[in-house]
Amino acid sequence: MDNDFSRRSFVKGMAVGTLAGYFATAGLSSTVFKNALLPEEKLNLTDIGQIKGLKIKVISETSWYDNNVFLNDVKKAGGLLVNQYEIPWTREGVKAGYQGDNLGGFATYIEAELLDGKVMKILLDTGWNHHWMEKRFNEEGVAEKLAKKEIDFMVSSHEHIDHFFGIQATTKYNPDIPIYVPKGFYQEGFDLLKGKSFPKANVKNDHPHKGKVTVLDSKQVNVLYPGIALMTFDVPIILRVFGEQAFVFNVKDKGIVLVTGCCHQGIISYMEAVRKNIAGGDKIYAVQGGLHISPFEDWDPQYDDLIMAFHKYGVQKIGCNHCTGFITAEKMLKAGLPVVKGTARHMSKRDIYLGNGDELVIA
Amino acid sequence: MIEKALDTLWLEERKAAALIKQPMRGILGIILAFAFFMGLWWVFMDPRGILRWYTPQYGYMYIRWLLIVAIWQAYIFNFWPFRPNWMEKTHPLKKGLILVTMNFAITGLLIWVFYYGIFGTFAVPYFSWFELRKTGLSDFFAREYSSLAILMMAAIASWLSPIWPSAFENYPWHKLTQPAKGFTVFAVTFLLTTYIYFIFMHPHYRVLFYPWQEFTAAFPWWYESFHTLSGNFNVGWIMCATVSVWLMETIFERYPFCLVKSQPWRGIAGFFCILLLAFILFFTFVFLQDAVWGPSVEGAKRLMAPDWRYLHTGELAVILLAIALALYFYFDNWPRRFSTEVNILVRVAVTIIGAFALHWLYYQYSHMLLGTQSGYSHPQQFPMAPVILFINVMLYHNWFMDGWPGKRIKQE
Repeated sequence: MDNDFSRRSFVKGMAVGTLAGYFATAGLSSTVFKNALLPEEKLNLTDIGQIKGLKIKVISETSWYDNNVFLNDVKKAGGLLVNQYEIPWTREGVKAGYQGDNLGGFATYIEAELLDGKVMKILLDTGWNHHWMEKRFNEEGVAEKLAKKEIDFMVSSHEHIDHFFGIQATTKYNPDIPIYVPKGFYQEGFDLLKGKSFPKANVKNDHPHKGKVTVLDSKQVNVLYPGIALMTFDVPIILRVFGEQAFVFNVKDKGIVLVTGCCHQGIISYMEAVRKNIAGGDKIYAVQGGLHISPFEDWDPQYDDLIMAFHKYGVQKIGCNHCTGFITAEKMLKAGLPVVKGTARHMSKRDIYLGNGDELVIA
Repeated sequence: MIEKALDTLWLEERKAAALIKQPMRGILGIILAFAFFMGLWWVFMDPRGILRWYTPQYGYMYIRWLLIVAIWQAYIFNFWPFRPNWMEKTHPLKKGLILVTMNFAITGLLIWVFYYGIFGTFAVPYFSWFELRKTGLSDFFAREYSSLAILMMAAIASWLSPIWPSAFENYPWHKLTQPAKGFTVFAVTFLLTTYIYFIFMHPHYRVLFYPWQEFTAAFPWWYESFHTLSGNFNVGWIMCATVSVWLMETIFERYPFCLVKSQPWRGIAGFFCILLLAFILFFTFVFLQDAVWGPSVEGAKRLMAPDWRYLHTGELAVILLAIALALYFYFDNWPRRFSTEVNILVRVAVTIIGAFALHWLYYQYSHMLLGTQSGYSHPQQFPMAPVILFINVMLYHNWFMDGWPGKRIKQE
């Protein structure tokens, strides 16, 4: 009897448990219950207006020259979560580097023609090694435009070393330039802007910024001019950085063009956010900039998920570079995605994607 | 009706007397464990600390294996080579120091000798930092990738290792003496771990390397159903299974499978009870995330990524476990005065409420305490790492040190 009792109790207990478990989990997550219980997708579309055309010039997409040297700096400091202002970055003796310096930087120069014919001139990011960045600014005429105050504003996509530490390359020529930064900038970032040095990280700013700094948050789409908007993402990023913003341009007769610094939010997540928040966001014509997929030529199966899903968005031009990674570009091309080729000049290593001095014109 | 176990552990036989009344004993125990955890974190893991091993995978790998080795020490080898007499008479501080040192030493040997030196060198290169480096990978990623592989195996071991002593009560080897029993159960569970690893995790490595390693590993077979090639899908549900083992062992008091009369049926029932609870946890956590953040999007990163959502189910489960273990170790598995079913229900409710609180506290304050980054879904940090280290410390304190100074073994 004891045996029967125990077995019966167990079977009863298991049956009740299984049923309860089913309704608590598989039942809830099955299509019928899921549709009933999950909130419907909400679209909150902002009409950002339109521009006539867009020219995007890659000033520098080479963040650093020797990947192993960079990664050894990170490893020695304690890995990918260490504060970037406290890592002694290698600045000399690197064969592949610019004058032996391993640091490069990222910056893009953008001209957006408004419907009334006015051309907005924008600098996206300011690189890392200010010697390298000044060289590139001079070669591409950006230095001159900065000095003449022709560039309307600078957008800092995020606070990372290779996008922001070269701030003096910009402020040397125009210390008054208005700057937009994403919410999440650390105090060190604002201090660097004002001229503070960080000797441990080998970074300084001899030309303090004196212009207006605007902090943009993620609560809304930030429309700067008709057809030009910034979206901010509250994302935690490696090397103790938080927050990134990226451009959304709406080009007449073409569609949406996304221009990014590093896109740590993820390009699919970014396109999804655009689809849900911007009128016309379901027609993305082009993306340009760093897509942050394999910046260290590393890999993760998740990145294959991304490449396999990219087709669904119907993007016609992928002007990627920088932290997208060569492996990603190769896989994208193999998957038939429309990656725009570059010319491999000015120390860009390969022509597989847009490099330094290359231009993407949307008009 | 709770059936008598076929084999019992020293942990179940020891009689510890309370030296401090509740709730002060529980509060003091948690404070001590947390202080020790913070010390360990600062020395070994904190990105602002001394050794900075939380790079993240390298340190995370050690944390995972420290847990498995503690399970081997207490559950599989029943503290062999130490005798019960020594375990009872030695001062908890001395005992703790010796057992924790053993725990660290075995973990180090396992990683440096077994994985890097043997398995990675002579069988599967991605288990060895040094072999991967030879292929041309950067030193940093050679260490990160090998650490990920080693810790993925740990995830499976943390599920399977305790099942034999807990559900099967070491059947059919319950009559063996130590160390024969320990080595037998260790060999069986480690063999199973290796098989399971190659089915559930190895395909991840087919697509981790470029080009895909199609001759050496199967295509991630879960892709069509779960929309990711990442092994994080398996990490998620396997972590739920690990947590289920310990929920069953602690707040569920092995109920209901303890009602089954004889082995191996009790063990088989236990195995499926654990699996069922694991799937309940897994799908509930997936559903909760869908409800809060909306459905995941294929190819997306971070919060919206299917693979991160699966990983986060494991993270949520581990948070749940930390609370259940705190209740079990520090508050005498409160309550105990009602029927088994009611006791379990109350404990489950307390654990769920506690887990919500810990989850909130973690995302509010952990970046300040642990030197990590604030916000959800950082691609390079894992709440499982600090929470498992805290669990390790609770195990050290309660398994190796009898919960001293709150409790101490009665001297006969």
